[in-house]
Amino acid sequence: MKTTRRTFLQVLSAATAAAWAGLPPRASMADVATANESEFFVFLIALGGWDVTLWADPRNEVRGIIHPASTENTDTSQLKRWVDAPMAEGPFKTFQLVRPRGTSYAFGPGIGNLADMVDRITVINGLEMNTVAHPDGQVFSTTGRHPLGGRVAASSIDTMISNEMGRDQLLPTVSVRFPSSYVGENLDRRVVPLSIDDVGSISRTLSRAQLYDATPERDRVTAMLSEEARDLARRSTYPDVVEGMSLQYEALRRMLKSNLQDTFSAGGLRKAHPELDYKSRFTGGPAVNAAFALEAMKRNLVRCVSFAIGGFDTHGNNYRGQAQLQQETFGLVSDLVKSLDATPHPTVRGARLSDHTHVLVVSDFCRTPQINLGMGRDHYPNNSALVVSPRFRQNLVFGRTDPDQLLPVPVRRFSDGERAIAPPDLLATFLAAFGIDPRRYMRDGEVVRELLRA
Amino acid sequence: MPSLSRAALAALLLAAAAAPFAVDAESAPPPPASRTLDDYRHFRISAIDLLGRMPTREEIAAFERSDFDMDRWIDAQLGGPGYVERLTRIYMDALRLEPNVDFRTAPAELYRHDVLGPDGKPVTIYYRENQRRERPETDGEFCLSPDETGVVIRARQQDQGTPRKVTQKALDQATVLVKPWWLYRDFRTRNPVQRYGEGWKDPDPQYKPVESLLDDAEGKPVTEVRICREEAGTRDTGHVYASGRVKPLPKDAKLPGGRLRPPPLDRPYATQHQGQELACDTKMALDYAPDCGCGVGLERCVPGDSNQGGNAFYYPNHMPLGPGMPLDDARQQVQRWFPYWWSREAVHFLDDLFASDRDFREILTGKRTFVNGPLAQFYRTIQRSNCCGPEASFGMLEEKEPLFDPHAVPADLEPHDVSTWKVVENRGPHAAGILTMPMFLEKYASARARGAALYNDFLCKSFVAESQQLAPSSEPNLMVRPGCKTCHATLEPLAAYFARVEPASFVFLPQGDFPAHSTTCKLDRNGHLSGACTALYDPAFADASGATLRSAYGSPAHADETPAGAAQDITRMPEFASCAVQRVTSSFLGRATTPDDARLLEALTDTFVRSGFHMKALVRAIVRSDEYRRSNNLSSSPRLGTSP
Amino acid sequence: MKALSVAALCLLLACAGPAEHVYPGPRTPLPEHGATAEDTAHKEDLRMVPPEVYMRTYLHLFGGLAPLDVQKRARAGDGAALFDTWDDYVSALGFPDYRLDVPRQTQTNALMTATFERLGVALCDRALEHDLKAPKGAQPPPLGERLVFAFDLPRTTVDVAGFAPRFDVLHRTFLGYPASLAPPERTARYFQLYRDIVAGHAQADPKSRFSPEEAGWAAVCYGLVRHPEFHLY
Repeated sequence: MKTTRRTFLQVLSAATAAAWAGLPPRASMADVATANESEFFVFLIALGGWDVTLWADPRNEVRGIIHPASTENTDTSQLKRWVDAPMAEGPFKTFQLVRPRGTSYAFGPGIGNLADMVDRITVINGLEMNTVAHPDGQVFSTTGRHPLGGRVAASSIDTMISNEMGRDQLLPTVSVRFPSSYVGENLDRRVVPLSIDDVGSISRTLSRAQLYDATPERDRVTAMLSEEARDLARRSTYPDVVEGMSLQYEALRRMLKSNLQDTFSAGGLRKAHPELDYKSRFTGGPAVNAAFALEAMKRNLVRCVSFAIGGFDTHGNNYRGQAQLQQETFGLVSDLVKSLDATPHPTVRGARLSDHTHVLVVSDFCRTPQINLGMGRDHYPNNSALVVSPRFRQNLVFGRTDPDQLLPVPVRRFSDGERAIAPPDLLATFLAAFGIDPRRYMRDGEVVRELLRA
Repeated sequence: MPSLSRAALAALLLAAAAAPFAVDAESAPPPPASRTLDDYRHFRISAIDLLGRMPTREEIAAFERSDFDMDRWIDAQLGGPGYVERLTRIYMDALRLEPNVDFRTAPAELYRHDVLGPDGKPVTIYYRENQRRERPETDGEFCLSPDETGVVIRARQQDQGTPRKVTQKALDQATVLVKPWWLYRDFRTRNPVQRYGEGWKDPDPQYKPVESLLDDAEGKPVTEVRICREEAGTRDTGHVYASGRVKPLPKDAKLPGGRLRPPPLDRPYATQHQGQELACDTKMALDYAPDCGCGVGLERCVPGDSNQGGNAFYYPNHMPLGPGMPLDDARQQVQRWFPYWWSREAVHFLDDLFASDRDFREILTGKRTFVNGPLAQFYRTIQRSNCCGPEASFGMLEEKEPLFDPHAVPADLEPHDVSTWKVVENRGPHAAGILTMPMFLEKYASARARGAALYNDFLCKSFVAESQQLAPSSEPNLMVRPGCKTCHATLEPLAAYFARVEPASFVFLPQGDFPAHSTTCKLDRNGHLSGACTALYDPAFADASGATLRSAYGSPAHADETPAGAAQDITRMPEFASCAVQRVTSSFLGRATTPDDARLLEALTDTFVRSGFHMKALVRAIVRSDEYRRSNNLSSSPRLGTSP
Repeated sequence: MKALSVAALCLLLACAGPAEHVYPGPRTPLPEHGATAEDTAHKEDLRMVPPEVYMRTYLHLFGGLAPLDVQKRARAGDGAALFDTWDDYVSALGFPDYRLDVPRQTQTNALMTATFERLGVALCDRALEHDLKAPKGAQPPPLGERLVFAFDLPRTTVDVAGFAPRFDVLHRTFLGYPASLAPPERTARYFQLYRDIVAGHAQADPKSRFSPEEAGWAAVCYGLVRHPEFHLY
């Protein structure tokens, strides 16, 4: 028999397929969801761009273009970790580096109470941003892609996580002023982020009058609408949106059955979590969002809670408050972690919530190492991030910047050569920590195994 | 319930429709068979896009009549309020012209603090932060010293000390009673009587001072306010004051009046220009002239109801359907008052652009705008307090060529005329559409941010720096610096158009006093640029022979063209028209345009340009296009073929 | 892994094998098996009605009132707790916040659906009170002044013949086209809803301010003001 090329290739492809079949299978989405059904996530963004020289990448010497924070430009009276240190020139004082016990790393005074739990945190410095525009930086930090023509080009990390493991939660992603986005194919419409201004509005939106119609009657209407939506979807060439509404009607029925309106009033949350500081100058408001996260996780209602803390964009004299804002922000994170430590896991017997909760704190970018004419700092294309997660290597500071200009330096070899770490890499690593293939959602970014626990 | 066959149900519906029946008597007879579901859908989409709401039953009934002309209906909606709101919304989504919260109109802001009166009852006194006073005990501080009040009083800070009764003599010497503009309609008269709520007939219903400005702590109406004497000054011009304090006090010297900070030393300008006249509505006046105050009726200032800034007026937090349809009414802080009206001005401008179907290029090139009472107050006086600080060293004591000429402000608008809007046909030679409006300049506070907004929003281009490694470099020119040049080679020349508009303020730097390249500002022997020069000229682009105006290095020529030149240059670019077409088309189709839309976009751009850049012509062409009709996929015909 | 390497090597070798001749077209004409109409319409998925449009329509259905007047009327101070404030719903409805650079929502989500229900119930209940429930001794407003329920309501439960034309009025009001052009099962489905609510209302909600028939029509109204076709276009 004459062997044509076609025949040969057919045989070869069959052999190749057999060879591939011998490899271990990639995790399916169902596997990921099952493996992570006990995990919870809190995503926080420090809106405006934070000064990393005050916490993660501390600089207290005049060097190169770097002017450290000092008593000339910073209000220090409320800073618990600020200890005066002399500056080379002038009458003002800079800060002593904060060297927590149990670590070889140093931080700036903005680290606040997180200095007491460095064994729980992972800090990533030298994140290469390539942008200094707010919308761009926020989107890049939370999705791993720059916006294109003003449009967000990818889903945010909370949507990605919820799509993998949050579909069955009552409130897969609750997003309070966080730049959550839902973009792309093959996303479940149940995980469209529930975007709100404040958590109190959940309670008010879910409350129902009882003087005209009863709950079973409204539920009957919702059930009928779900049917209507499914019928419309069947008639449509592109049924996605209408099918999504059908799922959302079903989710609504479950939400209303759960009586969330009593749980999620702002007053109720403050009462339920007095351990958080609702009176602090900058983070008193966001503390309610942290309380919501705690309560919602305790009741196994959410997968992700994302919220924002504003006020970091200190171009002028308002830079004086940057350090205190950071102190309060990290104080809030610290209080959240302590509260998670004290809360039993809703479904894993014997475990604490903190064993299964993962916090990621990001910002648009960082601030210039120079002080500007207005006694503030402007935008700068470098960044740091914070992770508090048992799946990450803790008591670790990864990534660096150069000593004179605070720019990211190459930190390892990636597939495209030696370079600094960037937000897509951090987000890809975050996904990989839970067995999620980043390529399902992200065009860019590589997993940095050094950040993860073995 | 017995199940109904499809045919039976249809027959039932038709029969019911034909029979006399007590439904809405004004409904048209049932539709003729020629209206398909697609027709109804098209009408509904058109109503949503052009009316801004879904069609009513009556409108549907009219649509069903055989004499209904869809083209005529579309034309009737173009220019209507729904159409205008639609287009304004497209550009507001892109530009987001509403203020962030952190903005202060510092020289114009009045704080308020209680002291213990001679009888032990609180006395409320208004004052300005950093007001100059001739008494060393109070120069630059509150008009009563800590020795007199028992406390150190500073704006936005906690008091220090224990209050004690102020003597009547001290009170009379340091303060006066005034009938201010926010209480009196006729505040300019010698003895105002038309007080808000009494004697002031029919105040503008949208003008709502907060209760704490209208009533005292016991709830009694306030008829006069007590204010520090210097702040009550009504002169239009004052004089540069030199106290004679040129050397700092010794470290252990007792400070006069119990103050915590030493009294301000005379700056060189004060010593050199002592007695010189200054306009009282400028920043210079606050810095140098104790005989300058807030003007007649305190018109040059705005009140807050506390020492922390405080609240001043009610206005809505949310009004997505326009100012006539607020969703709430909230007490607002005084620092938000003018930024709120800047935003309203921008929206008014856009609304007029679309309602009058003006040449769309006027969004950047237009000289006209609209002002109401608060904006008139702002442009007439308050904006002048932005200037001058370091500019004075260059010979500019007050703004010489403001972006909005105060003389263009209608004279008959009072600060209370919140609902009265008047057109200003020509703001001045430097006016350039929204580019020179305070709202745009505050939202995009730096020259680069302004240039980037132009690029993104009017040319539909992005600065996307993918995978650019930034190595440390001492190269100040970002147009050539490795890693930066990808974007900055384009951005810096765009930013340069705004070099003459100071960042985070609206002060315009005229070419005559501030050349793009100055030979007066240059590096000294130690390689430094002097203080005032550093504020306005860039040390990174300076040498022994001169220095370049900040933000101008990318293109000094653009700096001299100013934003008005940017407007001309940008609107001449072909991308300007195609960007506008793409933005509006994308919005009406409800999706991003794709390469498949190239022919449609080309045709629409041609229509738009040939019409003279009129939006009506563009929108008319869009809503009549087949693509618009097909921009949803629910068809009355069943699915055909196999699944994709 | 070894098997893969071998396969890759073989593939390389195959590429170097003898060339095959590929014909430009079929050797013999292909027989026809059937004809299918090709739908060449441009396919797009539905999009969400902008929150501004939703709100304007809502205000119009409430009688063309301004938002604060609607809020007042919906709350009415009668203990019904039908409405909170617009500020409570603004972000859930998807409005942008230009001050904080929060973009508008372009997708529905479960919380938005909950808000639509809250607002829809308020609208339908107040409209029914206005249109069909006159105070004692008074007549309901004439048909031309009705907000939503522009038809007379017989005292007894309507049958399907009585239901269909009334449903058509509501269908036009909310969805913008006659019920006769809707998918054929829609009227039947809504009639079933009406019947079920009427039958069970007295037991489900004995203290209700609505009679069973009124509750039935209110449910039909809820089912239309919350329908996907109302919120999408």
